[in-house]
Order: sequence, then C-alpha cells, then structure tokens
Amino acid sequence: MMNGIGLHKKLEENTGLLIFGILFVSSIGGLVQVLPSIFQESLKTPTVTTRPYSAVQLIGRDIYIRESCSVCHSQQVRPLLAEVKRYGPYTRAGEAVYDRPFLWGSKRTGPDLHRVGGKYSDIWHRLHLINPRDVVRNSIMPAYPWIAQRAANADGDIQLKMRALQKLGHPYTDGEIEAAPGQLEGLMEIDALIAYLQVLGTSRGPGDTP
Amino acid sequence: MKTEISSWLVFRLLLRPAGVFEELSNTRPDPHIVFFRYLIWLAVLPPLFAYIGAANFGWRIGAAEPLYLPGGDLVIISIVYFFVLLFGFVTTALVAQWMAATYGARHSLGIHFALVIIVAAPLVAGSIIHLFPHIFINVIALIPILIWSMYLLYRGLPIVLKISPERGMLMASALIGYLLVAAVSILGISVAMWGRGIGPSIGV
Amino acid sequence: MFSVIWAVLGMTAGVYVAAELVWPTLDFGQQWLSFGRLRTLHTNGVIFGFGVSALMGTAFYSVQRTCHVPLFAPKLAWFCCFAWQICVLLGGISLLAGWNGGKEYAELEWPFDIAITLVWVCFAIVFFGTIARRRIKPIYVSNWFYGALIIVIAMLHIVNSLAIPVTISKSYSIFSGAQDAIVQWWYGHNAVGFLLTGGFLGMMYYFLPKHADRPIWSYRLSIIAFWAFVYSYIWAGPHHLHYNAIPEWVQSLAVVMSLILLAPSWATMINGIMTVSGAWQKLRTDPALKFIVLSLAFYGLATFEGPMMAIKSVNVVSHFTDWTIGHVHSGALGWNALITFGTFYFLIPRLMGTGLYSIRLANIHFWMALAGTMLYILAMWGAGVSQGLLWLSLDEIGELSFSFKDIMASMPPYYLLRFVAGLVFLAGALLMTFNLYMTIKGRRTVQVQPPEVRSHQV
Repeated sequence: MMNGIGLHKKLEENTGLLIFGILFVSSIGGLVQVLPSIFQESLKTPTVTTRPYSAVQLIGRDIYIRESCSVCHSQQVRPLLAEVKRYGPYTRAGEAVYDRPFLWGSKRTGPDLHRVGGKYSDIWHRLHLINPRDVVRNSIMPAYPWIAQRAANADGDIQLKMRALQKLGHPYTDGEIEAAPGQLEGLMEIDALIAYLQVLGTSRGPGDTP
Repeated sequence: MKTEISSWLVFRLLLRPAGVFEELSNTRPDPHIVFFRYLIWLAVLPPLFAYIGAANFGWRIGAAEPLYLPGGDLVIISIVYFFVLLFGFVTTALVAQWMAATYGARHSLGIHFALVIIVAAPLVAGSIIHLFPHIFINVIALIPILIWSMYLLYRGLPIVLKISPERGMLMASALIGYLLVAAVSILGISVAMWGRGIGPSIGV
Repeated sequence: MFSVIWAVLGMTAGVYVAAELVWPTLDFGQQWLSFGRLRTLHTNGVIFGFGVSALMGTAFYSVQRTCHVPLFAPKLAWFCCFAWQICVLLGGISLLAGWNGGKEYAELEWPFDIAITLVWVCFAIVFFGTIARRRIKPIYVSNWFYGALIIVIAMLHIVNSLAIPVTISKSYSIFSGAQDAIVQWWYGHNAVGFLLTGGFLGMMYYFLPKHADRPIWSYRLSIIAFWAFVYSYIWAGPHHLHYNAIPEWVQSLAVVMSLILLAPSWATMINGIMTVSGAWQKLRTDPALKFIVLSLAFYGLATFEGPMMAIKSVNVVSHFTDWTIGHVHSGALGWNALITFGTFYFLIPRLMGTGLYSIRLANIHFWMALAGTMLYILAMWGAGVSQGLLWLSLDEIGELSFSFKDIMASMPPYYLLRFVAGLVFLAGALLMTFNLYMTIKGRRTVQVQPPEVRSHQV
C-alpha cells in the first residue's frame, strides 16, 4: 500500500501525468463498450422492410424533435410479454438505422409510439394534436394548434436535409431529392407530423407478423 | 438509572414528547423487555389494519376497480409486512447503536430500541389509514406523519442519547440517510420479487 | 452570482412544467410556453446554468487557494464566466424557439455545441494553468475531481455532439439508431457522473474540510475512491437502455459496473461524513454546514438507488416511469442543490468580507429544502412504482389488466404533490437569493494574500 501511495505521489505532483491518467482511465469504458457497437454490422443493417423517411415524413420527424415529443412518448417496445401485448412486436435495432437521432425516449407520460403507425386515422391524429382533450378526456398532453398554421416547407430546407442524410449513407436518389419540395407543396406541418406518425413501426423484424 | 419504561409511554409520546425524551434519557431499559413488550406490538398493528382494509374494501391502486386478492394471499402479505417491519425496527436500532460511537452517544441496545419506538410510533398510529387501502390517500396521510416522525427524531435523539444538539443533528441526518436507503431497498426488492413471480403478476 | 440566478430561473421553469403536468392548458396555446420547450429549458438551465456556473466559480476559487497562487490568465477566466453565461442565455432562448438536437442534455444545436466547447477549452487552460504554476507540490484531491470534470466532459461532449450541420438551427447526428443510443447514454450518464457527481465532489472535498476546519478523514480512501470512480462510472451508461434494442452483453456489463460503482461513491460519502462528524460544534453557529451534512445523506440515497435501479429486475418495472424522475431529483435537489446552497452560504459572506445577512432565514431555507426534496421523492416513488406495476399487470387469464389511459388518469394527484414540492423548494431558493443579495449589499473590501508556503510533509 505504501508503494501505491508513492506511485500516486507522482500523479499528484505532475499536472500532465494527472491529465493523462484521467483521460486514459476514463476512456477504457468507452473503448470497450461503445466502440465495438459502432462497428457491429447488425446494429447498422436495416431490416428488410425498413426504409429511409420520405421527404414529408422527415419534416414530420423534425417537428416531433422540435416539440420534444420524445420527452413524454417513448419509441421502444421492450421484449416483455405485457409490452408486446399492449404495443405490438418489440423493437429491433434494424428498424432504427435511419433514425438521426434515435428517439427511443426515457419516459412514458403518454403511451409508447413505436408501433403507432396505422393504429389511428389521420383525422384522429389531427384532432388529437390540435387539442388532445377533444379525443382523450383526461389527457394532460399539451395542445399544438400552431403546427396546423405553419406550412410544412416554411423553412425551405428539405433538400439541404436530404443531401446531408445522403452524405451520411441514407439511400436517397438525386431524383427523390429534386422532387421533395414539390411533395411538401400545400401541406401544413401537422400533415407532415401525421405522415411521420403513420409510418412509425410499420416496418418489421424477421419473423414478425405484419 | 431506571430500567423500566412505562406502558403508557407510546401514548404519552404522541401527546407530550418532551417529557418522554427527558424520562428516557434517565432510563436504561432492558432490550428484551422493550422488544417483546413494545416493538413487536408496534409491528403488528400496520399489517393488521392493512389486512382488514384489503379484505373488506380491496386495494385501490388508482386505475378502475378495486383489486380483491384471495384471502390466502392477503394473509401471506400481512405476515411478510409484519416481518419486514420488525426487521426494519431491529436493524435501525442496530445501525444507530453502531453509529453511536462516532457521535459519543449512549451505547445500550435498549435505549436504541426506545429511539426506534419514538420514530415509529406516529407512523404506526397513522397506519390506521390502511383501513381504507387507497394508495393515494395513504400517501397523503402518511407524509405529514412522516415529517412529524423526522421532527421527533431530530428533537429527541440528542436528549435520549445524551449528546449535544449539534452532534444529535449529525447523527439524526446519518440515520435518515440509512432509512432512505432502506426504504428504497424495500422498493427495489419488492419490485424484483414481482418479476420473479412472487406478488402481483406482471408480464415480463 | 450567475449560478443563483440560473437556479431561480431553471427551478421556476421546473415548477412551471410541473404545473403543466397537472393543468395542461397552462401553455395558453403558446409555443414557447409549451411543455416540450420549457422542460428542455428547465434541464439545460439547471445543469448548464446553475450547475456549471457553480462548478466554474468554485473551481476558480478553490484552485487558487489549494495551489497558493492566483489564477493563471485571469482575463481568460473572466471571459469564461461571461461567455458561459451568454451561451446559456442564448442557448436557452434557442431552446424556446425550438432549436433542438433531440438528445437529452445535449439538445443545444451545433453552433452552441461549438461555442461551449471553446469556453470549456478556456476553462481547462485557466484551471490546469493555475495548477501547473502551483507553489505546493502535491495537487489537492478537490482539483483531481474538478480536473476529471473538465477532461471527461470534454471527451463526452465532443464525441456525442458529432453531427453534420444542415442549417444554422439544425444538424443530423453522425450516429443513428442503436449506435446513437449507446453513444448518447455513454454521454448522458456520465454527464451526470462527472458533472453532477464528480464536479460537486470536488466542491465537497474543498469546502467541507474548510468549513469544518478539519482535514479530510482518510487520504488513502480518497485516492482509491477517485480512480475507482473515474474508471467505473463510464461503463454504467447502457443501464438507461435495459431491454432496449442493444446487445445483451452491453446491458449486462452496465449492470455489473453500476453495482461496482456503489463502492467508490459511498467511500467518498463516508470520507465526507467522517470529516464533518468531528466538527459538530460548528453547527450551532453555521447553518451552511447543515446543508452539506444533509446533502451527503441524499448523495448516499441517490448513489444507492441508481445502482439498484440499474439491476434488470428492478429496471423492468422502473424504466420509463416517474420513479426515474424521482431518482434524478433526489440527486439533483438532495445532493447537488443542497451542497451548492451550503457552499454559497459559506463562500459569499467570506468573499464579501462580512457575515451572512440572516442566519435565521438560512435555517428556514434548510427545512424548506428538506421538506421539498422529501415530498418530491415520495410523490415520485408513489407514482413511479404504481405506473410500472400497472403497465405490466396481467389478470388471471393473462391479459392486460388496465388500459394505459386509465393508469395515467390516476397520476395527477402525485403530480400535484410534486408541483407543491417544487414550489416549496423554489421558495426556499428565493429566500436564499434575498439573503445573499442583502449580504452582498453589506459588503466590505477583502484583501487576499497568497499564504506563506511552509514545508509540507505528505
């Protein structure tokens, strides 16, 4: 133990050694736990039915992020009996490869939305988003009337977004990027958000029922 | 130093705590007597109330209808509750006794049992709310009682264990730290047991 | 000073969002009052506004005293202070406007990511520059913790914020899906670990012995605990992702390391408790010491509850519930806020060359802080365990017992209790703000001389 104290004296008396020591010791965990997953193919490979988001869905997703929806709604069905009964097939990593950032969430003040696609009609979503209490009496979800008043292409950045994602490996064709502003024509933010919600969880892992 | 505690101590505690603290500071009770004559009965009451409430009214855990558990399960739960309480009382007294040296407090196990009685008595009295087992009502009723218990701990500990108020404050804080950890452990252990199939059935 | 302002602003945002969870129409249909925007303002305001300002301020103060030299590059230090405040202020406004990276505690978009990195580099230069110039050979333990704060947060922030900018207000993370999740929680958990835990332990290691006028109880323990802490905390990140779509081995490793982490955390707590237990006479005249003593008890609770919730069989019920929120606040209110309040009550009168304006107000604040914290924790334990149990509950024929809607409809009473708890805690903080303001008003000039260096035996 006294030798240990002697060794530590060196660290304590040398700024550079202390900095290096801290950096070294604190990197180990990241190198072992985080780095391999960056290279793990199964975490980077989309499932057969997973597609990158269309232009409209992408705008919708960015609105979801802007309004911090994932602070109350998770998007991760855990492989637990009760969860699968309540929400549907559990989440596979391959379904999330085009999610930048991931939106699995940490809290359910409202229900999980991972498999919400197709469960409610567009009209239901529209009413619910503009005022949740119109369709769910005791809901504490905030109302989002402003997204029905703002155009989906108000920021004019859809092509910039898709090109950036293309750089990151999303398989968008140049044709799709060209056509994107046209697809947003005449749509409001709420339409884009609904389009995003309706695609959620519609892809499947291997062996899942549709 | 006296070795007997009066039988009416618990009731006097709820009405005139200061006098009780003084009396206990001059008493050196026998741990066996304190345990068998007082602690055990304090541990019996909450499970008893809980059983009666649950059997007659059903547990209301907030959503929809009350939950009625089969009689056999209720008995087992009440017995477990009793032993958890008893275990809690005894370990708290032992932990306090272990801490006593650091703060220069009295060491006798009997007086630490008495300290536990001081803290537990209001909560045990308040557990009568278990007769109506609605979880939120229990929470609302027991929080002020808990605050009262903590107040009794801070005021009574230095007097009963014969140390200065400042050292008493430190020791009481340490004991509260231990109690918080114990409480959260009980939460964690219960939850882990549910996952193993002991308790309410959860689909994991 | 700024830290106190952010504390009040950040906590007010917190109380407001707590109210919105009870009365959802409190946003009056306005975007910038919407729960999503305000909650992000709350978390960023308290962590980066209140927390970092307090850490920077106390680091700059204590590094000078422990090294017996004035600050290296004092103008740069002033720059750090003001530049950071501007980052937090503008960043907060950007959050209200909806600029959001989408990752927890890393919501600020890329211009701010770059700005805070630059300020952080300046922070490092001033801090380590001062240490390099020191007149006492050994570097004191509080500086190891502050140093770890600076180095590790820099590493985590830079990696987790890697993104391709698209417009001034939007960028896309270079990580996606499961990989992004693992990187995010490597960052997120250790932001808690090295900022909210490590940095504040640095604060504790300096101010507690100073306050108590006694040396740290065990030097040897502080060494072992420090390195074990820096090593093991990093691995715990994936316990935020139990039963999620990440590899099993990563989750299991997180469980084991989270449990191991309990040891260095508690070792440090015990070091603090044993140091202060010899200084009990000071409690009579010093309300600030009470705050620090109680903060150690809550530190013990939070650092025990964390590893416990990292165990998969507990996590299966606690994940996604209000229990997690309760855990966060037992640490944030019980440990971080309380020790910072205690440090402010100790430090500011000293800096002002006068006594604290009102000891009585400080004592009242103490009881309010304790009550607010306890109420918060109990309300969230109640809500969280109920939610977790009921969401998973199956009836006799193996079907779900309750609908999600019905379960959550019974939560508002707990949310009301939590709102009251926040209100009480905030009110106490306002008392402190008044008290410190009056103390500053009554200030006298303080002359500081670096002390004589006598020969030190280690």
